[in-house]
Amino acid sequence: MTGVRLDDISYRYGRGGRWVLRGVTVDLPPGGTVVVLGRNGAGKSTLLQLAAGVLRPSRGKVRDRPGPVGWVPERFPADQPFTVDGYLTAMARLHAITDPGPIASWVDRLGLTPYRGTRLGELSKGTAQKVGLAQALIPGPKLLVLDEPWEGLDAAARDLVPELVAEVVAAGGSVLVSDHRGETARLPGATTWTVADGTVTTGTPAAIGDRSGPAASGDRSVSAVSGDRSVSAVSGDRSVSAVSGDRSVIEISVPTEVAGRIAADLRAAGHEVVAVRAVETEVI
Amino acid sequence: MSALVRMRVAAFVRTGRALPSLLATLVVLGIIYGGGKAQAAEAYGFSAVALFPIIAWQAKLVLDTEPDVQRRLAITAVGHRRELAAGLAAATVIGLTTVVFAMLVPWVIGVVGIGGIEGPRAAGDLPLGAGIALGGWAHLASLVTAVGLGALASRPVTRSTLYGVAVLVTGSVLAIVLGLQGSFAPWIVPPLMAAARTLAKEPHAGSVIGLSAQAVLWAAVVVAGYARLRRTRS
Repeated sequence: MTGVRLDDISYRYGRGGRWVLRGVTVDLPPGGTVVVLGRNGAGKSTLLQLAAGVLRPSRGKVRDRPGPVGWVPERFPADQPFTVDGYLTAMARLHAITDPGPIASWVDRLGLTPYRGTRLGELSKGTAQKVGLAQALIPGPKLLVLDEPWEGLDAAARDLVPELVAEVVAAGGSVLVSDHRGETARLPGATTWTVADGTVTTGTPAAIGDRSGPAASGDRSVSAVSGDRSVSAVSGDRSVSAVSGDRSVIEISVPTEVAGRIAADLRAAGHEVVAVRAVETEVI
Repeated sequence: MSALVRMRVAAFVRTGRALPSLLATLVVLGIIYGGGKAQAAEAYGFSAVALFPIIAWQAKLVLDTEPDVQRRLAITAVGHRRELAAGLAAATVIGLTTVVFAMLVPWVIGVVGIGGIEGPRAAGDLPLGAGIALGGWAHLASLVTAVGLGALASRPVTRSTLYGVAVLVTGSVLAIVLGLQGSFAPWIVPPLMAAARTLAKEPHAGSVIGLSAQAVLWAAVVVAGYARLRRTRS
């Protein structure tokens, strides 16, 4: 069983374009999960598409890519004249899958059953994104590449993503996932690739928590994982009513100037700060 | 690959993009066949030239139908080469349908009695069967070269409607202008005009083979160029 190796990869869009990535060498082992981090425009999606085989590197090689590959793009292309069923059937056939079993199973699991006969263009953004997930999962991918998979999904579907990742990994597959929403805490055991200035820095799971470092400018939010019982004591709060399991993630938004201090205070209090990021969307 | 061809043909037909080129085909065929009866080889020769820009446009429309991200999804499923081949195959299937339609229309017009195609009338006229066969040959030469031009004009390569239309119009105009008798570089364009001239006179096996080779070579060079450009344009 192989993972995927990006060997001295460089990439630019067109001959005169700027280099998005330069001399990147990284390994995604079989059974591994990697979270790709980086600012908007840093090249996360490019890196993901190179790994998935969508883009060809300008220099270097991608080796040992296993198949089939499931790629979930950041925005599902809903402008197509197919129903959900028709589209997923056609996509399955591209992978030489004619058995309707896997399609029905994923449609059901992702809550798409009521939309089977709906045209893609009439779906909400979140439902269309689920169709994007389904087409990637139907062939039973050995390499699953997820570009911002949590975007637009409802709470139930967002909780499903880590399950899906765990299942692909358990089957010996590899998963590459980009994230700028600080959802990485949902993927325990993932390593990180941080894309910045055309290079990729690999990190350990702990590095996800160390992202509080760049909290220097802009409005930031702090996500904290806590084992403290006092969190669950707020059980009357709607936002934590669905929390279960040993550990929970709380998203809070704080003024930028105090973000670093609060992150430090939370750590000092024994909590794990998993992410500090600029506020781009409404938090709980 | 056939699954991707089917998917793309279905998308092209369902989005209604087939209609404008179908109307253009009908207008062109009405002009060619509406005026009176003509010999099969000569009339089909003109038809093959006139359909070249329409089939090229149609090929561009087929390749433009799919959103860019969907094309990339297809690449993850079948790989770069088969995705590229499936696009060309889908455009060829649609173009072949247009060719068959265009070759049948004069017979329908003939039944109505206005114009269409007739059998040999004077000494030296080709038998009807030979005229139809040569007409089919001219249309196939037009088809393979038009699909090549349409691919070069498609959005995956040109990335903008303006550049796409510019490539399509320039290619079509050059194919006719540089194909005129006495052209300084007839070999640089698909041999449509030369084929039409051959069919209007007495076609010889030698000229048919030579022009076939030119059409195949031209299409091969253009498709190779398309494949090369697509290496960096997914």
